[in-house]
Amino acid sequence: MSAPWPIWVLFGAPVAALLVGYFYCHQRCPERTHWPILASCAATALAALWLAFQVYEGAGWDFIVYRWAAIGGFTVDFGVRLDGLSASVLAMVCVVSGLIHIYAVGYMEGEPGTSRFFLYFHLFFLSMLGLLVSNNYLQTYVFWEGVGLASFLLIGFWYPKESARRASWKAFLTNRVGDIGFILAIFLLLREAGSVRFEEVFARLGNITPGMRMTIGLLLFWGAAAKSAQFPLHVWLPDAMEGPTPVSALMHAATMVTAGVFLMARSMPLLESAPPVLAVITVAGLITAIGAAIVSVSKRDLKRILAYSTVSQLGLMMVAIGTGNLVGAVFHLITHGFFKALLFLCAGSVIHGLHSSLHGAVSAGVDDAGGLGRDLPYTGGAFLVGALALSGVPPLAGFFSKDLILEGALESGHGLAALTFLIALGSSLYIFRMLLLTFFGARAQQRGPKAHAHEPGLLMRVPVLILAVLSASAGVFGGTVARMLGFQPPHFVLGVAVSGTLVAAAGFGVAYFLTMSRPSFDWEWRARFPWLERWLECDFGWQKATDAIAGGGAALAHFVAGAWESRRWDPFTESLATGCVQLGEGLSAVCRGRLNEYVWWMFVGAAALAFTVLLCF
Amino acid sequence: MDSGLLVWGVSGVLFLVGGAFLVLRRQLIAMIIGVELMINAANLALVHAAVRRGDAEGLAAALLIIAAAAAEAVVGLWLVLRRLRDGETAETDSLRELSG
Repeated sequence: MSAPWPIWVLFGAPVAALLVGYFYCHQRCPERTHWPILASCAATALAALWLAFQVYEGAGWDFIVYRWAAIGGFTVDFGVRLDGLSASVLAMVCVVSGLIHIYAVGYMEGEPGTSRFFLYFHLFFLSMLGLLVSNNYLQTYVFWEGVGLASFLLIGFWYPKESARRASWKAFLTNRVGDIGFILAIFLLLREAGSVRFEEVFARLGNITPGMRMTIGLLLFWGAAAKSAQFPLHVWLPDAMEGPTPVSALMHAATMVTAGVFLMARSMPLLESAPPVLAVITVAGLITAIGAAIVSVSKRDLKRILAYSTVSQLGLMMVAIGTGNLVGAVFHLITHGFFKALLFLCAGSVIHGLHSSLHGAVSAGVDDAGGLGRDLPYTGGAFLVGALALSGVPPLAGFFSKDLILEGALESGHGLAALTFLIALGSSLYIFRMLLLTFFGARAQQRGPKAHAHEPGLLMRVPVLILAVLSASAGVFGGTVARMLGFQPPHFVLGVAVSGTLVAAAGFGVAYFLTMSRPSFDWEWRARFPWLERWLECDFGWQKATDAIAGGGAALAHFVAGAWESRRWDPFTESLATGCVQLGEGLSAVCRGRLNEYVWWMFVGAAALAFTVLLCF
Repeated sequence: MDSGLLVWGVSGVLFLVGGAFLVLRRQLIAMIIGVELMINAANLALVHAAVRRGDAEGLAAALLIIAAAAAEAVVGLWLVLRRLRDGETAETDSLRELSG
């Protein structure tokens, strides 16, 4: 089947927008750089939706656009693979990206460097598209690095801030640690299967020994764990909240961090052929999801609560991958993209509304908020929708996707199911705690807004509204996603649905008790157990451990640089250089400015050269 | 005596004479003549080798070299002419700016 033209729109529009944006707008009219970029968002969103519909109708494409290099049997290709997995995630990414681009126009208004912001933002979008539609591991890796680069640039967008610079480096370096696993997996695949193209790799799995399949699977998961913020490589994501809120919403919640889950879903045939890897993924996902949920409950910064919530939800998706529940993982990835983007945008609206009370800080904590529901009814309502969707209250989106994951866990064992329900309880608890602390009731410890907080403008409200509608209704796409992935529509298990809802309600109850019935609880336990807060502040000590590891590496590098480079190696290279200079000065005595002598030396040199050549060959 | 040896010999002698001109003569025009002699010595050898091998590559190279030599002679003579017009001599002893 030949490729339909919307596939070319998918790449052509962002590339054209970036070129126009950089070479024309950025130079001439930086306040309008977002115009071509918004046009590109609209075009790609339409193209992605059309393609997703075609794939739903049974179409599918897997072809090579451009052969970049061929070395023996090994080829480096730029290819496109549009199947149910990439098309369904692509549709979500394009819709959410477009909405957040619009929101960012309002959010970044008046900031210095918005032109740079939109170029980076769209560069991320382009890389994400390339990652999703890739038909081989190498191309995935290239765009994997592309989104990592955009993430680095945007976390450090406010680079005059020391904390932003540190956070961007932390994110980049942690991801490098994961990338080592990914690239080693690609090398091994190339050696064992002779190809990096998905369909060829999966067709040749039988030729690979089980031990090697397991190694490759574990290395791939190591890469995915860094990108999708899974324990032990999750440490960068909370710090990544130093970036502007639209960045946190789009990249560090809805799309980029799900790339790891996407990679695992893409590699499902490989993972299923190596059951121990699935077990490792399940355990890592459980540890991440439960740990992050607990830490999230203890956080005070609005964006960090949501960041740990993202880590926890990604852990839940990994649990789904680990239980072989592809539909659950992908469907939760999509609904999570909608409602987590919504929650982040609401947090952004709160920060925007409190701007005058924050003294220039780029984020707000629960201490700055309190009773904002009165001032920001629209944002509060949208946040409520997002919270209900996240906690899994029917009939909102999160209910259906979380339900699927719970069912999958139940099929794998009761212990696993119990732990998964615990994650659901935690997510309901932290999100309602945040909702109640921010929007309902004012506590003595909360400063609240000095003046009235104000609702944002239409540019920010409309995307929030659309995302709220999608978060509420995306549950109906469960059957669609299942069909696109080649599965039967999920069956409805009443027991799981009821208990899931009860767990969400229990989470709400606990959150209500701790924030409304005992309004000062959140501050009391901190005062009474300062060690507990410190312990949770550094992720049960893991942040400190990684700091120590990174610090040790840096100290070693400093030692090598000081003791070896500057004392042993530098004198050697310097003596080489001074030797060359002295030799030249000595030989320059020959040059007395007589042309005939120069010709003579030329002959001598040519003769010596000819003699050497004759002698050697 | 083999005619080939004769051609090689003439070519070699021409080359050496040209080289001697370059090294020993102090007049710029004489040095240019030396260069021309060396180029033509190489050309002679090239044409001879091409004929013996029976291919056209050497001949083509010789033609190219003749063109390059003509261009080189034009540039060289023009430079000498400039110096003479400026009232300088065409002796190499007057060119000492290249000393190291």
